[in-house]
Amino acid sequence: MTMSFSAPLVKIQSLYKSYGPHIQVLKGLDIEMKPGERVVVIGPSGGGKSTLLRVMMGLEKIDSGSISFGGKPYISSEGADRKTEIDSEVRRSIGMVFQHYTLFPHLSVIQNLILAPCKVRGEAKASATKRAQALLERFGLGAKANAYPAQLSGGQKQRVAIARALMLDPKLMLFDEVTSALDPELVAEVEQVILQLAAQDMPMMIVTHDMWFAKNIASRVIFCAGGVVVEDGPPEQVLGAPKEERTREFIDRVFHIRH
Amino acid sequence: MALDFSIILRFQDALLLGLWTTVKLTLVCIVLGCSLGFFIGLARTSRSAILRAASSVYVEFFRGTPVLVQLFWIFFCLPLILGVELSNLTSGVIALTLYMGAITSETFRASLKSIGPEQLDACVALGLPRRVQVTNVILPQAVLRAVPTLLSNCVSLFKESALVSAVGMADLMFVGQNISNNTARPIEVLTVVALIYFVIAFPLTRAVTLVERRVLAKLAI
Repeated sequence: MTMSFSAPLVKIQSLYKSYGPHIQVLKGLDIEMKPGERVVVIGPSGGGKSTLLRVMMGLEKIDSGSISFGGKPYISSEGADRKTEIDSEVRRSIGMVFQHYTLFPHLSVIQNLILAPCKVRGEAKASATKRAQALLERFGLGAKANAYPAQLSGGQKQRVAIARALMLDPKLMLFDEVTSALDPELVAEVEQVILQLAAQDMPMMIVTHDMWFAKNIASRVIFCAGGVVVEDGPPEQVLGAPKEERTREFIDRVFHIRH
Repeated sequence: MALDFSIILRFQDALLLGLWTTVKLTLVCIVLGCSLGFFIGLARTSRSAILRAASSVYVEFFRGTPVLVQLFWIFFCLPLILGVELSNLTSGVIALTLYMGAITSETFRASLKSIGPEQLDACVALGLPRRVQVTNVILPQAVLRAVPTLLSNCVSLFKESALVSAVGMADLMFVGQNISNNTARPIEVLTVVALIYFVIAFPLTRAVTLVERRVLAKLAI
């Protein structure tokens, strides 16, 4: 995909989303993400961070608003019937990794990796297997190709999940609290893999509670609370010297708990 | 009174023939009943309220009435309503298939329901078309999860199949009963019949445990 430097990769415009009549999760969210940016979204639980990623992946319907990717609108709900329209062709450029691995338990690691390339893109099994094996080697999982997900540690499962998403050559990766379910000693191996991707300029949006990781990977941090963007800026500002009172309270609390 | 089990040897061919009938009947009804049960299981989780209601009525009715009554009803009443004669084999196959369909549909329904929504999230995030989601992700997991209970269902069916002797079908039970009546040796004959049922059913119940330990534990599903 070619685009000029300033054109946004993702453009989210006045996004509203509610669960039922009483729970309004996103209340008019506006975010622009440039190519090559690594945006970390932080904020209190229930603030709409995970919902934002799920909406971007097309896993949730929206009430109103629109999202464009590479200049093309692919999710919108504008008409009178308020039906969420999703362009699945554009959506295929986006990969997502979830908190709970979501590997297919009945398939081996390599089968997990090649299912989508073979079934969605019609890639030959031999070539997909070759690419998958190379990717697994790169993530230190070469010996696990024929293992089943239940035979892996949490950290290994999550690295497989990342590799599986990468098999489709995404132009943007979404990481939804991918280390939250892991034992502390397994967090680093997953974060290393994501840092590896960052070093290759993979655009990504990350929801995390790990402030150390946020500081290390973000090129930009968004503080989201109450369904709106409260503060948006470089990591030194949002994490180090926040301008907004609500951001400061949150950061103080999180760092106080951690240290 | 003195027990004389050697009498069985005189009738071993008849007993084996009866066993063969029982096994054939059971296998046919397992295949037909599981296929029916699978589609009924889907119907019970369907979006259509009519399909859901119709399939629920069927399942609850057949689970809530004795198989013997169902069999008699099909053998004696259905011919009167339809105006066609049903052989005891046909009645037996219909009754056991409907019974197996009802119990396996519950097994399939439970296993379909046990697949978490996050599996579907992963399918969507990978851009898998609906057809691939069903054939490559949902169905294999549902069937694997259903296997232990399905095996138990098969054992139940194998045992319940003895009921067809009541409509005169020459299965193992029927043959055993005949021999026992004609020889006045019910203890020897019926004990051996019971043992034959047990020798076949027991390994199957052990197989359930084996599948659970080996296959399902390895996949953690």
